[in-house]
Amino acid sequence: MKYDAIITGGGRSGCAAAETLLERGWSVCVVAAGLRLDADQDAPYQQLNELARKGAVVLSGDRTSGGIWADSADEYCRKLLAVKTLNYDDRPLEARVFILAGGKFFSMGLRSDSERVFEPVFGSDVEFIPGRENWYSPDFFAPQPFMGFGVKTDTHGRVLFGGKPALNLYAVGSIVAANFTPADPSKIELPDTESDA
Amino acid sequence: MPEKSSYVQNLEQCMKCNLCTFVCPMMEVNPFYPGPKKAGPDGERYRLMAPEFYDYALKYCLNCKRCEISCPSDVKVGDIIQRARLKYAGHNLRDYMLASTDLVGILASPFAPVLNPVLRSKTVKGAMHLLAGVDSRRTFPSYSSRKFTSWYRKNVRDGFIKGESAPTGKFVSFFHGCYVNYNYPRLGEDLLRLVNAAGYGVRLLEKERCCGVALISNSFGSQARRQAIVNLDSMRKAVGRGEDIITVSSTCTFTMRDEYSHVLDLENSDVRPHLMLLSKWLYGKIESGEVQLKFNPDFRLRVAYHTACHMQKLGWRNYTLELLKLIPGVELVELPQNCCGIAGTFGFKKENYRYSQTIGDKLFTDIRLARGPQELESDVPFVVCTECETCKWQIEMSTGIPVLNPVSILASALFSSRQ
Repeated sequence: MKYDAIITGGGRSGCAAAETLLERGWSVCVVAAGLRLDADQDAPYQQLNELARKGAVVLSGDRTSGGIWADSADEYCRKLLAVKTLNYDDRPLEARVFILAGGKFFSMGLRSDSERVFEPVFGSDVEFIPGRENWYSPDFFAPQPFMGFGVKTDTHGRVLFGGKPALNLYAVGSIVAANFTPADPSKIELPDTESDA
Repeated sequence: MPEKSSYVQNLEQCMKCNLCTFVCPMMEVNPFYPGPKKAGPDGERYRLMAPEFYDYALKYCLNCKRCEISCPSDVKVGDIIQRARLKYAGHNLRDYMLASTDLVGILASPFAPVLNPVLRSKTVKGAMHLLAGVDSRRTFPSYSSRKFTSWYRKNVRDGFIKGESAPTGKFVSFFHGCYVNYNYPRLGEDLLRLVNAAGYGVRLLEKERCCGVALISNSFGSQARRQAIVNLDSMRKAVGRGEDIITVSSTCTFTMRDEYSHVLDLENSDVRPHLMLLSKWLYGKIESGEVQLKFNPDFRLRVAYHTACHMQKLGWRNYTLELLKLIPGVELVELPQNCCGIAGTFGFKKENYRYSQTIGDKLFTDIRLARGPQELESDVPFVVCTECETCKWQIEMSTGIPVLNPVSILASALFSSRQ
C-alpha cells in the first residue's frame, strides 16, 4: 500500500491535516490509535467516518510503531520511506509524506521517564527542561512548564533529528513544542519521487 | 511445546474515560451488561481481590474488540474480559456442543443429507429450543456430506487441482477451518482455483484442529490450548518449509494471530507474521509484480462489503477492497462498520437471540439500502461480501441476501480459457 501521506494520529490536528490534504487531492491514510476524548463523544467517531467517506483510509485502533528510513550518507538528513504499525508490522505502509500528529502525553505522542521526555515512535528531538523537578510549577494555576514540551521542528514544520530536519516527516498539533513551528498541511509539497529517490 | 507468551494485562492504564462503553454494541441494547470498562479493567481489580466478584453478565461480551479499538490509552479491554471469562465462567452441555465445532462436524458430516432437513424442521428446532437452549428462530448452517479434506485428497495433486493447471513447485499452506471443512467445502475449492491461478500450490497443514475461538468464548480454556498447540506445531513446520499460511476466515485468523498469545498465553510470535488471510497474501504478490490475474471481462456483480469486527481489528480490509477493485465488472460499496450481532455461538443461544438481532438491525438496514428496492433491482446480481462465516449466516438469515467470501468472488471472476 502506498499513499501520498500517512498521518500518525486521528485526533483533532491529525483529522484536520487529513481533511486539508484530501481537499488537495492527495491519497491519505490515517493511523488512529484510539478515539480522542471530546465533550460530544459522537464527534471524533463521526469525524473519522467522514474522512473515510471522503476517501481516506482510516486504520482505527492501530498504532504507528516505528519508521523505515532511506540509507543516507548524511545520518541526520534522512528520508522516511514507510512506517510500521501494530497490524502492518510485517508489511510497512509506504508514503511520500508523513505527518506526526500524535498529541501530547495523554495521547502517548510524548512519553516521559524519570529523566527525560521523548517521542516514542521515531525518537525525534524533543524540547524539554532537564530535571523532572523543573517540569511542574507548585502553583496549580500557574502555566505548567511541561505543557510547552514537544518535538522540535524547522520553519516548515519538519521534524528535527540531531538538529537537522527529516526530508518528509512533518509535525502538526500539540505534539509540537511551544516555541517551534507546526507544519501547515496546505503548504506541504509532495516530493518528486524520481529526483530524490 | 510453545513457551508462555510475555503478554501482560495493562488495566492500570485505564483512566475511566468510558469511550469503550460508548462504542460497545451490547451496551446499546442490553441493560444487564455492565459495559467494557466495568467488566474489564474495573472488574479485574475486584477479581484480583476475590474471584467471588466475577460478574456472570460478562457472558454478554461479544468479543468484537471495539473497546480496544476505541481506547486512547491502549488498554486491552476485550482481552481482560476474555481472560476473566476463561478463568471464572462456567458452561453447560449446550455450550460444549456449540463450541466443539470439530467434534460436531465429524459426527454430522456422514449424516448430512438426513441431518440438514432435520435441523431445519420445526419440531426439532422447538425441541432444541426447550431442551438444549438453542434458539428455534435461528437457522443452523448446513453440513456438507463430503468434507473439504476428502475432496482435496481426491482432486488435488502436488497442490494443484488435477487437470486444471500444472504444478510450479511453489507452495502455500492452507488453514481451512471448520466451516470450509464441514459446511462449505466449495469455498476451499474456490481458494485452490484462485491460488493455483496465481501460480502457487496449496498444501494442507500436517494436523489441523479448530482454531478454538468457540472454545475460548465458551470458557473451555484447556481444550482450546490443546488445539492451539497442535495448530501452532503444524504451522511451524509450514513456516520451516518457507511457506506462508493462508486462511479464508477473519475470526480464525484473528484468534490464531492475537488471542493465542493474549488470551491463551501461548507464544506464537514466530508463526504470526506468516499467518494471514488470502487477501493480504494475494495483494502482496500482485503488488510486487510476481502474480498477475486475468479476470473475465463479462463478469458483473454488485458487491456491498461488510467489515467483520475481527477484520476491523486486524485492519486488513483494504487488501480485500483493493483486490475486488481489480475485477472490472464489480460495483463496490463499503458498508458502514457495524456489528452483525451474532458473535459466533453467542447468537445461537436462546437467551441472546433478541440482543443479537437488535444489534444487527443497523447493518441489515444499511445492506437493504445498498441493494435498493427489490422491484427496481437491476439485472446485475447483488451480494454482500465478508470474510466472516458467522456474519454470513446472520446476514443471510436476517436479510435473505446472499453473502460471499471475497475468495469466492475473485475465483468466479477469474478468466478461464475453458469458458
